[in-house]
Amino acid sequence: MKALQWQGVNKLAVGTVPDPELRNPGDIIVKVTKTVTCGSDLHLIGGYIPFMEKGDVLGHEFLGEVVEVGPDVRRHRVGDRVVVSSFISCGNCWYCDQRLFSLCDNGNTNPAITETLWGQAPSGCFGYSHAMGGNAGSHAEYIRVPFADVGAFTVPDGVSDERAIFASDSASTGWMGADLGGVQPGDVVAVWGAGAVGQMAARAAELLGADRVIVIDRLENRLAQVRQHTGAETLNYESDDIAGELRERSGGRGPDVCIEAVGMEAHSPGVQFGYDQLKQQLRLQTDRPVAVRDAIHAARKGGSVFVLGVYAGFVDKFPLGALMNKGLTVRGAQMHGQRYIPMLLERMAKGELVTEHLATHVMPLDDAPKGYKMFKEKEDGCVRALFVP
Amino acid sequence: MLLIVGPLAAGAAAAVAAKRSGRPTTRQRHVITVYRPLSELEVTQLPGSLKEIADRVEIRLAAAPGGRGTEIAVRIPDGSEVTDGEVRRALRETRSLLEAGDVLLPSGPPATTPTLLNRPLQTVTQHGREGGLL
Ligand SMILES: NC(=O)c1ccc[n+]([C@@H]2O[C@H](COP(=O)([O-])OP(=O)(O)OC[C@H]3O[C@@H](n4cnc5c(N)ncnc54)[C@H](O)[C@@H]3O)[C@@H](O)[C@H]2O)c1
Ligand SMILES: [Zn+2]
Ligand SMILES: [Zn+2]
Repeated sequence: MKALQWQGVNKLAVGTVPDPELRNPGDIIVKVTKTVTCGSDLHLIGGYIPFMEKGDVLGHEFLGEVVEVGPDVRRHRVGDRVVVSSFISCGNCWYCDQRLFSLCDNGNTNPAITETLWGQAPSGCFGYSHAMGGNAGSHAEYIRVPFADVGAFTVPDGVSDERAIFASDSASTGWMGADLGGVQPGDVVAVWGAGAVGQMAARAAELLGADRVIVIDRLENRLAQVRQHTGAETLNYESDDIAGELRERSGGRGPDVCIEAVGMEAHSPGVQFGYDQLKQQLRLQTDRPVAVRDAIHAARKGGSVFVLGVYAGFVDKFPLGALMNKGLTVRGAQMHGQRYIPMLLERMAKGELVTEHLATHVMPLDDAPKGYKMFKEKEDGCVRALFVP
Repeated sequence: MLLIVGPLAAGAAAAVAAKRSGRPTTRQRHVITVYRPLSELEVTQLPGSLKEIADRVEIRLAAAPGGRGTEIAVRIPDGSEVTDGEVRRALRETRSLLEAGDVLLPSGPPATTPTLLNRPLQTVTQHGREGGLL
């Protein structure tokens, strides 16, 4: 079958790979009908997460049709239209029972790498390096989905592919940031990053009753989408005084909840950026934490900061003093998709959660290398490139 | 470009090193928690790869606090040829069998091509459940 493969740092190509096989009795095979780029892929493509092998198939946010089911599968049948959580979870361990699905104990076949790096291993993910299980990704004609009764969800008839696909990863991630960040009715919420993840976090904060939601980015087309589709306010960090504006818009208190949806390749207009980029290149830090620093500084006393952006290792100039003295709660996580997808699909069916506008560029899988280039360079207003295998 | 991630690559190297030292063991005790009540488990009835090494190691079960299940502790006696890699894999596989009823296999057939650069990583992932800190 055809698939988009990682061929080396900043090298992608569409090639031919063997069709996936059922391996465990709880597996299904899905014929991928839509699959989309994610900001997380950029960290793999750029070589910031060095656990890729030449030939690995990328992609973890997708939707498709069930074409084969293993003997233990109960909830799915051939022909079902399903959206699949990007993280793979068994549904039965203590973490799954706590609904912390991306921390599942039994979903990563290579726990050694991340356990060595971080002390404990999170679960596995599709198309996200051998540190996350080395599972073949979704930018292909077919994909094997393990623990399918837990991680695959039938899409209600009224919800289009273009809407449902984002339940797979970005909408679940954004919802988690607002939910576990503790957004309450009446809160002021600030979101760094207006990519799909940041936009979904902003929408989630509104639906959870926030009084004011403010999204920060520098890309005007993305900020325009925020204003049009989520109803949040926007700030441009290249022209606005972010710290001052956030203070003013929250009555001098600072935002109750700050959600970071930028990640380890953060950009900034000031000297910080050069400093962080240089340190990253000299291997003195692995990640650029500009937005996390700003979020911690802006948050109100006793407020919370949720880190949705992906980080892999160590950062420098972490404002531990502000965190401690302001009594902040800082949390992060890979997304617990299984916890949110059924609710998100219901909200999508009711029209509360709209996502189609995120897929700004739709193209055949053959054009995926071009799609990633557009997505990476933010060419032509690209927010997400969606591939049709 | 790969150099940028030196500290992370070092993590992988450490995992490799842990794997290569397949010699009799630096750590003799390994403990894992399984989300099953102690009342359901018996040392002699544990399934999977732990059963295969059971006669060459000492296994003890204890209730985990706070309803977290059962702690399975394995001690490799002096003179046993069982490696700590084998014990880690056995504990992880047995936990998965007890909790999820199955042990997840990697995707396949593989789509990757072996290269010099891939080799250290492939060495680690071929023994993915043997390394780490457990
Ligand atoms: N936690 C999870 O499970 C999970 C899931 C999906 C994505 N992610 C991560 O979330 C992050 C965002 O994903 P995405 O798909 O929206 O990515 P994206 O690349 O499309 O969007 C990132 C946005 O951040 C903006 N940005 C860069 N520097 C900034 C700064 N200093 N302040 C404010 N905005 C800044 C960029 O202009 C861009 O619009 C990535 O790091 C991705 O890896 C995490
Ligand atoms: Zn993602
Ligand atoms: Zn689990």
